[in-house]
Amino acid sequence: MSGRFLFVWKRYLSSEASGREMTMAGVTDSPQLDESIDTSEQTAQSPDSPWVTIVWNDPVNLQTYVSWVFRSYFGHSRAEAERLMLLVHNEGRAVVATGGREEMERHVEAMHDFGLWATLTRSDA
Amino acid sequence: MIAFARRGDAITARFTTDEAALIQNLTAQLIGMLTERSDRSVGDEDPLAAQLGIGSMTAAPVDPALARLLPDAYRDDNEAASDYRRFTEVGLTERKIANARAVAMSLSGAPTGLRRTIAVRLDDPAVQAWLRTLTDLRLVLAERMEIVTDEDAAAERDEPMGMIFDWLGYLQATLLEEWEQQLWT
Repeated sequence: MSGRFLFVWKRYLSSEASGREMTMAGVTDSPQLDESIDTSEQTAQSPDSPWVTIVWNDPVNLQTYVSWVFRSYFGHSRAEAERLMLLVHNEGRAVVATGGREEMERHVEAMHDFGLWATLTRSDA
Repeated sequence: MIAFARRGDAITARFTTDEAALIQNLTAQLIGMLTERSDRSVGDEDPLAAQLGIGSMTAAPVDPALARLLPDAYRDDNEAASDYRRFTEVGLTERKIANARAVAMSLSGAPTGLRRTIAVRLDDPAVQAWLRTLTDLRLVLAERMEIVTDEDAAAERDEPMGMIFDWLGYLQATLLEEWEQQLWT
């Protein structure tokens, strides 16, 4: 095994760079979920509607780890953390927090620290 | 490897020199990938921005593995995603690099004992760094193996990279289990 095998993506750069970007977009998402988000995002947005933090499913993170992140970061009970983790696993995503935009941005940053895939959006979106 | 176990207020384990070298190799590559990105993001065109931790990158990395480590915070709002990235990516990248360095540091002892293994002793911050870095490494490996579904992961099980992926998952699961026990007792 080569000494730098984590860097192998570079072989794609010459000819297939654009194709690889598409792969990332499809990593953990089903197309159906994409569509439901895209269409609903078009709806009118009131300026003071609260925001939500969404965690998306991925095929990498262990269930025990995701559940631990929800407990240790959000202070959820074991039962609530399990419920949210299973929601992410089974539904492809779950709203894990609701509130102001800046607060949700902090949550998303924390989730990225943990390696969870998280985004924020308006709750009426 | 001798599995993670609680010793007082720390978690200990022992790794063979090969295992330790593998983790060192992987963390060094991870640090390399992240450093390449942050070097390009923190240019010298704007010293004040650099001082404030504001980067110049406005779009997700082209490399899908890096893009998974440093994802967009907004899915359907490119402008918001760009702004968010300028203000947070440098810090996020630096924290990931620091975590990976902490993992490498905890494996830097000399081999000891009859079996010439490397003893690891993790305090709370080190455990946090290990849990996060093991995740980051697995995310990159999964991207390189193009794992999209749980079935893909199972199909890679017998490939060298798949074995490493599984082993890192085993390390994370057992470390987390042991560390949580510490919290409950």
